Amino acid sequence: MDFFSSLEISASALTAERTRMNLIAGNMANANSTRTAEGGPYKRKDAVFTARQPGAPTFGETLSRFGSGTPTGVEVTAILEDQSSPRLQHDPKHPDADEKGFVALPNVSIIEEMADMITASRAYEANITAAQATKSMAMKALELGQ
Amino acid sequence: MPIDKLFGTTIELVSKNLDLRAKNHMYLAGNVANAETPYYRSKTFSFEDQLKDAVRHREESAAPAVAAHPNHIPLKGSAHRIEDIEGIVDESNVNGLGRDGNGVDLEREMGRMAENQILFNASVKILAKKFEGLKYAIKGGN
Repeated sequence: MDFFSSLEISASALTAERTRMNLIAGNMANANSTRTAEGGPYKRKDAVFTARQPGAPTFGETLSRFGSGTPTGVEVTAILEDQSSPRLQHDPKHPDADEKGFVALPNVSIIEEMADMITASRAYEANITAAQATKSMAMKALELGQ
Repeated sequence: MPIDKLFGTTIELVSKNLDLRAKNHMYLAGNVANAETPYYRSKTFSFEDQLKDAVRHREESAAPAVAAHPNHIPLKGSAHRIEDIEGIVDESNVNGLGRDGNGVDLEREMGRMAENQILFNASVKILAKKFEGLKYAIKGGN
């Protein structure tokens, strides 16, 4: 059923964008966390988005993907830690400062996170609009024969 | 069958149009969903030309040379029957210019979605009016 697949596709994107939003919030909250369970400063986390078929693909769907391509939803397939080096700040009074007086702060840039947050929320809105369009088309089709 | 005369012309065309617009909407929703997926290439679904050809072919000849099975290779010079049209999916072969290589132009997709929705609603309206007309005739104008 086309309309339900459309809704499923939009919903998958909403879930993915919300996961991304959670990660961004976590990154911003931990922008100054110098201690973690694994040791060392907090590392920025990012979601990996992968296009995927709605529902479990059948043999036919997998085959047709090689030919014409079928519409795909989106899925968060991994949450990766940014392995770039931590931000070093000279603050000898900080309890986690090294012998030279430098503190290793998380590799989180608030400005980058804010920009990511805006793209995530815009993408979320676009998918909400798409879902609303699906709903209104399905409702319109139900008006037939009245 | 005489019933074909009643439902076979406009209603068949408009309802096929509705089906294909719903399918098109699914592709557009898929593109919007993947607006942030790295290296995703947008997919375009088109059926207008196929539908136009099928209508023209139906008008030209009463008995068109149609394939016996939808999966058969179409005969030369023959168009699909309206009910067999499945549309064509095109996947763009360029990655986007951004750093993530995503090829979705969100504004264009949303514009297409609005257009598709309006045309879908128009088709629903036409179909509803058609049924209304039939009902009016059945009731003898009452």
